[in-house]
Amino acid sequence: MSIAVEGLEKRFGDRVAVTGLTFEVKPGEVFGLLGPNGAGKTTTVRMLTGLLSPSSGRGTVCGIELGPASDGTALRKKVGLLTEQPGLYERLTARENLTFFMRLHEVDEASTWKRTRGYLERFGLEGREDEPVGGFSKGMRQKLAIVRTLVHDPEVIFLDEPTSGLDPQSARTVRDAVAELAAEGRTLVLCSHNLAEVERLCTRVAVVKSHLRTVAALTELRREGLALEVTVEGEASLLLPALATLPFAPTAHHEGNKLKVMLADEAHAPDVVAALVKGGARIHSVARAARPLEEAYLELVREEDET
Amino acid sequence: MSGFSFNRVKAVLWKDLLELRKNKGMIWSLLALPTVIVLVPLGIVRTYVRNPSDPNFRAIALYYDFTVDTDSAARFLVDKVLADWFVLYLMMPVFVPILISSHAVAGEKEKRTLEPLLSSPVTPLELVIGKSLASLIPSVSVCLLAFVCLCIGVDLVAWPLAHSFILPNAMWTFGVLIIAPLFAFFGNGVAVLISARVGDSRLAQQLSGLFVLPLVGLAAGQFGGVLKAGPEYYALIGGIVLVLDIGILFSARRLFDRERLMSRWG
Repeated sequence: MSIAVEGLEKRFGDRVAVTGLTFEVKPGEVFGLLGPNGAGKTTTVRMLTGLLSPSSGRGTVCGIELGPASDGTALRKKVGLLTEQPGLYERLTARENLTFFMRLHEVDEASTWKRTRGYLERFGLEGREDEPVGGFSKGMRQKLAIVRTLVHDPEVIFLDEPTSGLDPQSARTVRDAVAELAAEGRTLVLCSHNLAEVERLCTRVAVVKSHLRTVAALTELRREGLALEVTVEGEASLLLPALATLPFAPTAHHEGNKLKVMLADEAHAPDVVAALVKGGARIHSVARAARPLEEAYLELVREEDET
Repeated sequence: MSGFSFNRVKAVLWKDLLELRKNKGMIWSLLALPTVIVLVPLGIVRTYVRNPSDPNFRAIALYYDFTVDTDSAARFLVDKVLADWFVLYLMMPVFVPILISSHAVAGEKEKRTLEPLLSSPVTPLELVIGKSLASLIPSVSVCLLAFVCLCIGVDLVAWPLAHSFILPNAMWTFGVLIIAPLFAFFGNGVAVLISARVGDSRLAQQLSGLFVLPLVGLAAGQFGGVLKAGPEYYALIGGIVLVLDIGILFSARRLFDRERLMSRWG
């Protein structure tokens, strides 16, 4: 396993930042870490990269034990971290920024530059190596930060909100770059609020909100509940009170004459149709729909709030 | 366990010196104090040399030492101002590293470069040593350069009166080569410690700058005739700073901890 953690917890004084983290990430997997702001995603990544020491629990990353006695330097040589802010030295050129990190990682500069040039070319940064980073656009900085993450050829790469604050075009370039890294067979851990991005790139996700809510494959997560798409005559929103009478109170979204009802159990489908008919609905069609990741995610986070 | 790497220290040193070299505003700030420290005593010496028989100089000399030969009052005052001035010269090795280190340590937090830096294999000890060298090397160099300029300037200006080289003398040479680096270490250590606790480089500079005030107090005591500057006096100050330096070294190791920095500033 590239990552294996069990009961990992981080406390800052009396405050529990994150607890009960138990999951595994296989080599070559693209794993998503989801959760709202302040859920503990960044703390989790910092523990997994050796920046913070877990308060309890145990785990290994690239075969290296986490914890105060762990060899943090060896761990950080094997993992790469793309932080939410690119964190580049603006007065230095792109080349100087990369050289600095090559030297910190003590890699052979000549051979690393050969490999790095390939990334710079792929990200459209070739020919800009000797310009100060202060003059780069946000997208260029983020791409350069990704290249910096790769200078030591890490086994596992952690990407914390890689497209945060980027314009759609830059975000797409960065997403494509991440997809290419995944295609190279690298183990990636992606923290993101962008569920479409997670759906596109990840195979499995962990949902965290102070503690681990679930770990599942995306397909499982979508399948965990059934979505029923009902087309009715007239305004679908008028039928919401009819659904509220059901004992299992399903969540529903409406748009025009379409109603999407989320069900925890397939057996509830006939009850939903019956309640809608009883509520005066003239139903044109009923179809099963794949539950979007967003819905599954929001449901998990809401459950957490309620408990 | 991976051990200490001098290559990583060199990498931090290289990066910080490169950033300093590209920061023109910082370079001008660094040169401002040495310029004043060199030019002001030259002006005072020039005043004594221009009219050595001025009766006011005799009165001033007698105020400081009633046994002084009044015919050589101007020369006495030149020697006295140079002996006293050394305490103000010592402001430079304290202040210059404060400027550089505050920027280099707290600046990493301000620019959000601390997390990527700490996620590299560099250890806190390597980081402290690399950043301290990047502060001490230019600071000590500036102090030495300022001393060379002061020696040349004083000898040129005072030649008509002294007919010999006044500087460098034993006290200044000992001070510049031994005491000034101890003060530079002190200034750097204070700035590193304060920068590790505050998140703003300007606040770090202002707080660290307060540590220059005792030197201003000593200077006031000397110019007021309360304290008598000389080799023993400066050796005593150097000894006190050496003890403080050792304390700073221990505190820096404790405070400059990856977890502490990340949880406070990351």
